[in-house]
Parts: sequence; C-alpha cells; structure tokens
Amino acid sequence: MRRQDVIVAAVALAGAAVAFGLTFRFTSTTPAAMMSGMGAEFFPRLVIGLIAILAVCVALGIGNPGMDKPAPIPGIVWITLGVMALYIVMLEVAGMWLASFAIMVGLGWLWGERNLVKLSALAAIMLLVVYGGFVKVLKGGFPAGLWS
Amino acid sequence: MEAFIAGMGAAFTPYILWLILAGTVLGIVVGALPGISGSTTTALLLPLTITMTPTAAVAFLGSIYCAANYGGSITAILINTPGDPSASATAYDGYPMARRGEAGRALGMSAFASAIGGIFSVLVLIVAAPLLARLAYQFGPPEYFALALFGLSMVAAVGGDSASKNLLAGASGVLLATIGLDLTTGVERFTFNVPALSDGLDFIPVLVGLFAVSELFERISQRHVKLEAIKLNALKLPTLADFRKCAKAIGLSSVLGTFIGALPALGATTAALISYNETKRWSKYKEEFGKGAIEGIAGPEAANNAAVGGAMVPTLALGIPGSTTTAIILAGLMIQGVRPGPHLFTEQPTLLYVVFGSMLACNLLYLVLGFGFAKAFARITLIPDAYLWPGVFILSVVGAYAPNQSIIDVWVMLAFGVVGFFFKRYGFSPAPLIMGLVLGKMVEETMKQSLLLFDQDWSQFFHRPVVVTLFAITVLGLAAPLISSAWRRRYPKVPPPTAR
Repeated sequence: MRRQDVIVAAVALAGAAVAFGLTFRFTSTTPAAMMSGMGAEFFPRLVIGLIAILAVCVALGIGNPGMDKPAPIPGIVWITLGVMALYIVMLEVAGMWLASFAIMVGLGWLWGERNLVKLSALAAIMLLVVYGGFVKVLKGGFPAGLWS
Repeated sequence: MEAFIAGMGAAFTPYILWLILAGTVLGIVVGALPGISGSTTTALLLPLTITMTPTAAVAFLGSIYCAANYGGSITAILINTPGDPSASATAYDGYPMARRGEAGRALGMSAFASAIGGIFSVLVLIVAAPLLARLAYQFGPPEYFALALFGLSMVAAVGGDSASKNLLAGASGVLLATIGLDLTTGVERFTFNVPALSDGLDFIPVLVGLFAVSELFERISQRHVKLEAIKLNALKLPTLADFRKCAKAIGLSSVLGTFIGALPALGATTAALISYNETKRWSKYKEEFGKGAIEGIAGPEAANNAAVGGAMVPTLALGIPGSTTTAIILAGLMIQGVRPGPHLFTEQPTLLYVVFGSMLACNLLYLVLGFGFAKAFARITLIPDAYLWPGVFILSVVGAYAPNQSIIDVWVMLAFGVVGFFFKRYGFSPAPLIMGLVLGKMVEETMKQSLLLFDQDWSQFFHRPVVVTLFAITVLGLAAPLISSAWRRRYPKVPPPTAR
C-alpha cells in the first residue's frame, strides 16, 4: 500500500462517513401515507457505499497503478488562495470594481511582475471589458459594496 | 428535410452568424492561452450563454467547442505546451517544425487538417445522430437507467491512469448531484438549510472552479518551469505538395477520430494519440516522425477535431456526454432547460440543425482565421502568467457570480478550484467528477421511475433485452482493467533478448 493512496482512501472514507451520517438528518414534509417507492436517503446511501468500496480499492491498489509522491506545495499557492478568499470577502465591502482592480494588480505583483503601471493599465482594461460585456451588454449586476 | 432547411435558415441569421464568429474567435484565443484547455475554455465562457436563447447558446457553445480544440494546437506547436491534452500528439512534430523555422507551415497544416476532420465528423453527425435517436426513441426509463450506468462506467477510462480513482471521482460527482430537493419525496438533502442549495449545486461555479481555478493553482505551483517560445518571423504556409503528402493521413484520421469520439467518454485525446500511431504506421516517411514530420501534425489534428463531431453524437442523441467538453455543453443545455436525447429530434429539430450548422460554419471559419491570423494568434502564447492568470481569475469570478448574482457561488467556485488542484496532485482528473455530476440526476430519476414501473421489483430489469445487453457491456467495461492488470501480474512481459 502506498502512503499517498492510503491518504486518498482515508479522506474519501471520512467524507463518505460524514455524508452517511448526514443522510439520517433528511426530514420529509410529505405525509407517510403519500410516500411510495424508496426513500430520499436510499440513492445517496447506495452511492456512499460505492464510494467506500472504491476507496478501499484505491488503497489496495486494485485498478490503480499508483503514482509518484507529489512535490510539496509551494508557499505561493497558499498565499494566492488566502488572497483570493480575502478578495471574495472584500467583494461585499469594497465592491466588485475596486476589489477586482486590487486583486489583479496584487496577484500580478505576487507572481513576479514589478511594473505596477503596466499591471494597473491591464487591470483597468480587463475591468472595462467585463463592464462592457457583462453589465452593458448582458445586463448583469455585481456587488457594489459599501459604496451603494 | 424541412427541419434541416429551417434549422440551417435559423443557423445563418446575422445574429447567430455573429455569435458563431464570436464563439470561433473566443474559442481560438482562449484555447490558445497556455494551460487553458478546450474544456476550461467552454466552462469559462459558459456563463455568457445564460441570457441567450437556447438556439443562440447552442450555436455559441458548439463554435467554442470546435475552435478551442484548434486553438490548443497553437500552443502545442509554438511553445511545446499543448493548450489542450488532445493536442499533445501535435506537439511531437509541431514543435520540432517550429524550432526549425516552419511554424507557419505547421500552423497552416493544423488549421487545414482540423477543418477537414471537423467537417467530416459534422457530416457523420448529421446522418448518424438522427438514426441513433430513432433507435433510442423506443427506450423507456429502464433502458435510460442502463444507458446512464454505462456512460458512468466509461468514466473509468476518462482522465487519469487509475480506473479506481476515476470511478471514485465519478461516484463523488453522482453524490454531489443528489444535493438539493428530492423531487419524489420533497426531502431536502445535504442543503444545510442554505436556500441556494435547494435546486442543487449550480453547474457553472463547479465547472469554472474545477477547470479554470484549479489550473491557475497548478500553473503557479510550477512557476519555475520556463517555456521556450518560438517567434513567427515569416509566415510560410503549407504547399500543395504538403497537402498531397498528408491527404491519406487526414482521411484515415478523420474516420478514426469520428468513430473514437462517438464512444462515450473516449474523447479527442485518445483519438489523436491513436491516429498519430496509425499515421506513422501507414506513412512512407516513418523516420521523420518525432523530428518534425508534417504528417505527424495532419493526422492527430484531423482526428482530434473529428472527435468533436463524433462526441456530439451520443450527447445529442442519447443525452450521454461523449467527452468532458460535451459534458459541459450538456450542462449548458440543461441550464437552458433543454434535455438532449431522442425526444429532442422530434420536439426541437431546429435546435439540432443549428448545432450542425454552427459546427460546420465554425470549421470553415477557423480554416480562414487559421490561415489569415496565425501570426496574431501566435502572439497570445507570449502573454506572461502574471498578466494572464489574474485576468482568468476575474473572468472565473464574473462567470460564477453572474448567473445567480450570488457570492455563495463564488465561494463554491473557489472550493472546487481547491478540490480540482488536489485532485490533480493525487492522480485524479476532474472529468469523471463532471460526468458524475451531469449524469447523476439521470441515474437516480430513471432508477426510481423504473422501480415504480416494476412495482419495486428489481428483477424486472433483467427481463428487458436492451437493459441486459447494456448491463453486460457495463460489467465487462468495469472488469476489463482488473482482468488486464491481473493478466499482467500473472504473465509479466518478458523483455526481448538483446542482440549480441
């Protein structure tokens, strides 16, 4: 058994166990007399059972030739993820346009581009395209933040 | 025939033609961006169709699908990084050609072979899809249940090398499809009292997250990899002698690609790789392959574009996606309230002929665009990551947010971006998960309908010949990887004796 396959199987089994537990919390508003056929929990439980079997297959290497240990995740991935999460929070505070401008410049800088003028110009052009395409043509709306 | 003419008439209105042109250009441009595959392109541009009519959406998506496949070959030839996995075989000979200053010749042949393969497969689609639909018209819920199970079993072959991991991802997709209100009992499942989840997981944030955002994380985790870009100083196009040399490869690969593409879950990548091998096998110039053989571009390019039309056959006729991108298109059609399947051929034939018309027009368009603007498209590959990917992220956010104007959808997109990133790191592919998500509802609904029909008697499934046949194929398909690995363990390959 390879360590990474065991990790994958353990995560899948844990997820399946949680999902199975959640199926006991399904509550129906339909009167019992009107119910026919299988309950709402039957199909999800069937699939959860299948997931558990397949997770064991992965761990035991059945139909799974295995893989090399993945390289460690560079710190920049986690920082980028954090910046993105912060951006989504900021969408409702600073609004779509300001938050998006900031993240485009910020991510570009984070990924090695030091020319802030170029980054700002590109961010402005991109946001103008989005505004033209989605707001003017497709009549979509975006969070205005506290400015509204 | 009347529907065909009406459909073609609908396909060639100025508005639809404009959408086809826009879809083709966007498909090539986004498909040519390094690291963005055809399926990512389709997922990223899918939100644009929300406000369109089903006919317009179908024309737009069909054009993107055709063009993105061609766009992927531009990066394969110029920077040895296939924009789409299906263009990986193109890179074997395309990049060596580009390095010796023949990028224009390679790109020109790629556009020509792609167009021929694409047009051939659309013609097959026009003939084969209605025939298959007529056959499937007799199907009831039990047959559809068996068919959906068969489609799901084929995910074992999609994506990564591990059949069990592919099936695990597919089953997870089916479980995700159960989120929301159960229509037969009125029970809320896995909704955590979030009203937005009552209708189930929205396809768009999941698709955008799994394909675009996960790819973004993948790219930044490999930032140290430097790509050598080829500059197109002079654009020398293929000659008549080149076309003559490649005619056999294009013909053979168009047929192979269409056939392989039509098999559920076996898509353009398999078609291109098999065609590359077959082109080499039947070529008079085998020694040139791998060093910049123009036939090595013509074969896989004809095949991967032919697979596009082929993959649309089961998608439209049966509602079973023939590839990852058709699974995304299927999701797009379902968002529009259109459920592909045999009934579509009698209820909305015009819509189908719009698909055929738009795909034909798109293939002709990118032949023109490929020759005329190859140099401009080539410049796209030179955009640095620090400029490109923040833009892709903003487009992803806009795409996830716009349909429902919901921040929750943006969080769902980010969550699935992380899931997709870890999927790839641990040898999973997001494609089976999407297949499971798209087919999951169909499996559950048809199973419940069948059991109501059979008065909850499971054995009744085995009284229907089509169901039994499909079950048998499914079991065989699932058992094949296990049998072959057991065979390999029992009879390991003996290395050939070395020459003395």
